Amino acid sequence: MRQLKIAIALVLVGGLLTTAAFLMAFFTAEVQLFSTVTFDAPIETAFSLAPPEFQPTDGGVAYGRPWFSQKIFYFHVPVALASFLILLISAVYSVRFLMSKRAEFDTKARIAMETSLIFVVLTMITGVLWTRASWQVWWEWEPRLTTYFIMMLMMIAYFVLRNSVEEEERRATYAAVFGILAAINAPISFMITRVIPSNHPVVLQPGMAPSNLTPFILGQIGMLMIGYGIFVARMSEERLRERIEITKEALEG
Amino acid sequence: MSRTFGARKALDDVTFDLELGAFLSIFGPNGAGKSTLLKVLSTLTTPSKGTARVLGLDVVQDAVELRERIGFISHNPLLYPDLTAEENLEFFAEVYCIDSPKDRIRELLDAVELDHRRLDLVRTFSRGMLQRLSIARALLHDPALIFLDEPYSGLDPHAMDILDGLIAKIRDGHTFVMVSHDLSKGLELCTHALILSKGRIVLHQDKEFIDEDEFAQTYRTTVGMGVS
Amino acid sequence: MADAAPVTTSRMSGWRQFKAILRKDIVMELRTKEMLTSMGLYALLVLVVYYITLSQAGQDFEVRRIAAGLLWLAFIFTSLLGLNRSLVHEKDQGCLDALLISPIDRPIIFFGKAVGNLIFLLIVEAFIVPLFFFIFLASADAQVMGPVWMIALALLLGSIGIAGVGTLLATMSVNTKGKDFILAVLFIPLMFPLLLAVVAGTSVVIQAEIGYVTTFWQMMALAAGYDTIMLLAAFALYEFVLGA
Repeated sequence: MRQLKIAIALVLVGGLLTTAAFLMAFFTAEVQLFSTVTFDAPIETAFSLAPPEFQPTDGGVAYGRPWFSQKIFYFHVPVALASFLILLISAVYSVRFLMSKRAEFDTKARIAMETSLIFVVLTMITGVLWTRASWQVWWEWEPRLTTYFIMMLMMIAYFVLRNSVEEEERRATYAAVFGILAAINAPISFMITRVIPSNHPVVLQPGMAPSNLTPFILGQIGMLMIGYGIFVARMSEERLRERIEITKEALEG
Repeated sequence: MSRTFGARKALDDVTFDLELGAFLSIFGPNGAGKSTLLKVLSTLTTPSKGTARVLGLDVVQDAVELRERIGFISHNPLLYPDLTAEENLEFFAEVYCIDSPKDRIRELLDAVELDHRRLDLVRTFSRGMLQRLSIARALLHDPALIFLDEPYSGLDPHAMDILDGLIAKIRDGHTFVMVSHDLSKGLELCTHALILSKGRIVLHQDKEFIDEDEFAQTYRTTVGMGVS
Repeated sequence: MADAAPVTTSRMSGWRQFKAILRKDIVMELRTKEMLTSMGLYALLVLVVYYITLSQAGQDFEVRRIAAGLLWLAFIFTSLLGLNRSLVHEKDQGCLDALLISPIDRPIIFFGKAVGNLIFLLIVEAFIVPLFFFIFLASADAQVMGPVWMIALALLLGSIGIAGVGTLLATMSVNTKGKDFILAVLFIPLMFPLLLAVVAGTSVVIQAEIGYVTTFWQMMALAAGYDTIMLLAAFALYEFVLGA
């Protein structure tokens, strides 16, 4: 029960932080241009401050396409980074499962994968909003979005695989093997899609204004806390379920 | 030779030993952990807790050495249907790195009375012939310990007789561990008997001390338990 | 049999065991021709579907621009078929268990099966690629094309990755409920980076625009990198898959 409380606290604090970051993005951050990096335009111009008409007026809100796509950045990127990090954590648990063959690591790997899937889906949704706002299309086969699409497919495959194996230990082993492969595959996909010319805005350049960095970092921390909170909550639920199973068996036997 | 292990759920604190040259029959209802036990002993899977030593070799650490000295006869023939009898044996002889495999294969095919069919595809074999070839495969490398997993299932009486004869022929100098549903067959062959239920040993006795009716009674109660 | 001459075994030789597995797979395939005919026929059917797809594209449409993608698409689906077959053979009569209780190192089983699959895949490719070029790219403007060996290299690097990762995944999928479907679901997302690289590599050679050689080698380096990483991972993980 204590764990559940911690989980709720984490989700709440994380939620507050992300909300704060989001509000800061609207009211305090200067609008930066995250325009498409092309090979002929120097990076400095691509990341300069947007012209004044796009900046928020005193206490007011300006509306414009570059402005909205700018705001979603404070949600999209932290979610994307968090999903990737949680995927890695899942892979670490998978490795530990294969080394020890202890069921608890399998459960942890599975739940981390679930959490990661939630974040990947959020990344996809915010990514689609972004493409709509900046590029006026709903879906763009833009390499990084594509990579997230692939990540999502791999995670779904992970659960499909789990569902199609009857025997528990075999299911856990196969899932761990595939989880590890998926975690190796994700950065390779990132790398390869980077090499092939892309039109995704490259953010987090040194040129980022400090007023923008603060909400970004806040948002990132908030997202990680939410992620961890979900993980802890699901784990405690899973433990309860296991206890119920054991009790059931004991009663029947 | 002693083995101690307890695997999660499937096997729960199973401990027993068996001397060389013995014939152990393992009985138990479905899901009692018989196959898991056999899998651990034949290095197909590892015990989650505890250790098992077979022929003085640890099933985890010395798995490779141990595999050279065990044979496995299952109700599954474990043969490639699209290869001939001879090719199947040749393949496994190569896997076991046997010297002068041709002579050994001839000798075994003679023994299981399949010499006349050696160039035929295994696909065309009857159940009994498959099982005989399967025995030849298991004996290729002259293992010291032979595992039998329900070897009689699906055999007609004639094939059973041949199998009995073969086992009698190789009975000397080999240790056997057999998993079976067939109580009378299992008791007839064994020197030791063991009943498993829900991953635990219910009974483990020398044959000399076994009263057949009493044993059958115990077996029936455990099977009944397993079903509920 | 008790009086039989003692059986002597030489020291376990991985090379000998590897050859045995490979030879067994080839003998079986030559006898049944199961994998090659099903893969070849499937690839031919895919070509027919391509013809239907392109039939409405019009005269101006340059097939060359998408030829590499079409080619690899045919291979990826064809290979799924073959990979599944190759492991079903081992699983059907429990032969894999017989291998697992024999004194054979697990990686040798992996390499034996993977190399066998690679060979069959290359045979199918050797048959499909010329046909594909003949049907879709034999028009006059197809003369400007990079050297054939470059395409062969791309095919080889791609096939190595497909066979390696595919063998591992097929070993898992044969033990699941929906064999073929599971294999596809696991296989295609994992193949994504490799496909991207080899399709780009093949494509630049087919189109042979100025400076394509640099891009080609870049893509081949990526494909080789993917192969190395993924094969190492598959090699390390195979033992766990077999043990489960």
